[in-house]
Amino acid sequence: MKPVLLIALNFVREQRWPIFVLLLWVLLLGIFGLVADASRNREDLLFIFKQVAVYVVAFSVFFGSSAIHNERKSRRVLAVLSKAVARSQYLSGLALGITMACAIYCLALGVTASWTLSAVGYPMSRVWFLMICLVAACMLAGTVALMFSTVLSPFLAAAATAVVLGLPGLASRTLAPNWSYLVPVYALTTSVLNTTFKSPGDVVWFPVELALLETVFFWLLSARVFSRVDISVAVE
Amino acid sequence: MPAVLEFDGITKEYRRLASRRRFRALDEFSLKVEAGEIFGFLGPNGAGKSTAIHIAMGFMGPTSGNGRIMGQPFGEASARRRVGFLAENVALYHRPAERLVRFYGALNGLSGSYLAKRSREVLHIVGLQHQAKRNSAKLSRGMVQRLGLAQALVNDPELLILDEPTSALDPLARVMVRELLLEARNDGKTIFLSSHLLSEVELVCDRIAVLHRGKLVRIGRTGELLQSGEQSEVVARGISAAIFPGAVGHNGVVKLHVPASTQRAVLEQVWNSGGEVVSVNPVRRTLEDIFLEVTSDRDSSLPEKSP
Repeated sequence: MKPVLLIALNFVREQRWPIFVLLLWVLLLGIFGLVADASRNREDLLFIFKQVAVYVVAFSVFFGSSAIHNERKSRRVLAVLSKAVARSQYLSGLALGITMACAIYCLALGVTASWTLSAVGYPMSRVWFLMICLVAACMLAGTVALMFSTVLSPFLAAAATAVVLGLPGLASRTLAPNWSYLVPVYALTTSVLNTTFKSPGDVVWFPVELALLETVFFWLLSARVFSRVDISVAVE
Repeated sequence: MPAVLEFDGITKEYRRLASRRRFRALDEFSLKVEAGEIFGFLGPNGAGKSTAIHIAMGFMGPTSGNGRIMGQPFGEASARRRVGFLAENVALYHRPAERLVRFYGALNGLSGSYLAKRSREVLHIVGLQHQAKRNSAKLSRGMVQRLGLAQALVNDPELLILDEPTSALDPLARVMVRELLLEARNDGKTIFLSSHLLSEVELVCDRIAVLHRGKLVRIGRTGELLQSGEQSEVVARGISAAIFPGAVGHNGVVKLHVPASTQRAVLEQVWNSGGEVVSVNPVRRTLEDIFLEVTSDRDSSLPEKSP
C-alpha cells in the first residue's frame, strides 16, 4: 500500500500546476459570490457552479490519458519500476493520484459552493452529495482513461475514453434513460447539471456505488493489459 | 557459485506496425552472472544490451525464453527489492536530491530513521553530500548520473545493474565509481555493468561478455580473454629487422610478433643469424582489440526477419 500512496502523492505533486490552474476556476466562483449581489444573481451563481463542477471530469480524463505516456516518454517510469513496485501498484498509484487531484478540486469547490450557494438557499447537504458524485465520476473516468493510456497515445486514449463515457449518455437519450447507468459518468454528471434551486435533486447512491464497482472493474482490466506492455520500447 | 542473474534462450523481437517487419534485438541469448563478480556487458550500439537489461528488470517481456533474477523469474517485484538499477540516460523527478533518494528508498520499503541515514550516506558515497538540498533539475548531467547511482544504492542491493554508469562523468568521478564498484564486490555484491568505456571495464570486471546483433559472441574471464595464446612477442638484438617481415628495429633491438606455432622456428632463425633473444612473451591484447575483432566481421547474416 505504501508504494501506491507514494506514487499517488508524487503524481499530485507533478500535476500541481494543472491543479493550481483548475483551482483558479473555483476562485472565480468565490469572487463572483463575493462581488455579485448573490440574492439577485443566484441563478447565475448556480450556473457557474455547475459549469466549474463538470470541468473536473474532463480534467480527470486528461490526467488519465496522459499519465503513463508522460512517464514513459520522460523515462522516469524506469526508476520507479526498478524498485519493488509491481505494475498493478504503479497503476493503482496513478489512479489514486488522479482521484486525489480531482478530490482536492472538489473539496475546494464544495467549500466555496457551501459558502456562496447555501447563503442564497441552496441546500448545503446537496452541494456535498454532488461533490461525492463528481469524485466518483472522476475516479471512473480517470481509470477508463488510464486503461486506454496503457496502449494508446494520450490523444487516442482521450478520444477512446470520450466514446466509452459518452455512448451510454447518447443511448440514454435515444433509447432508454437507464442506459446512462451502463458507465455512470454521464448519469453522475447530469445529476450536477440538472440541479436547480427549486428541485436540487434526490440523494441517490446507486450511480455512485456503480461507479465505484466499475472503477474496480476497469482497474483490473488496466492492470491485466499493463502487465503485458513493454514500457521501455527503444528499438535499437 | 549460484547465478544471481540468468538469461535462458531469450529472444526479443520488436514489431513495426507499419511495415509488418520484425527486428530481432536478442537472439537465443543465454548468460549466467554469478554472485560476487563484476560482470562486464559489452557490445556496439544496437547490439541488444539495454534490451537484455530491460528484460531482466521486467520492463519488457521476452518474445521467447525466460530468465531469473535473484532466484525469481524476471518481472517479480519482490526480487527487485534486492536489486539496484541505473538506467542509461537516467531520468529522475525534480526535487531536492536527498528527498529524491528518500522517495526511491521508500518505494523499496525503507522507512524512518534508517532511510534518512541511508539517503545521506549514499549521497556522501557518490560525492553529492553538499548538493543534498539542491533540486535535481538544477544539477549538471554528471551530477544527475551520480544521483541516479545514489538511488540505485539506497536499498543496499545485492545485485547492481548499471547501464552506462560513467558516460556523463568526469575522470575524477569515474575513478570514484570504479572504486565504488570494487568496494561493492569486496562486500560480496554482484555488479552487472554495461559500458562502452572499454578501459574501465578492463580495469574492474572479473568476466566479460560481448553481445553483437543480439547474439553472445564472446564470454570469458577478463585476464584469459586479454591473454592471447596465439601470438608471442619476440625481442632480439644483434640482427637486422629486415630478416623478419613486420619486425620493428630501434637502437639495435628488434621486436616482432609471431604466431605461437612458428615461435620455435623464429627463435632458431635469430640464433642462426648470430642474434641474441632478449625476451619472449605472450602478446597481451586490449579489450578494444577483442571488441573490434568480434564485432567488425560478423555483419554478413543480418538478424532481421520477415514474418
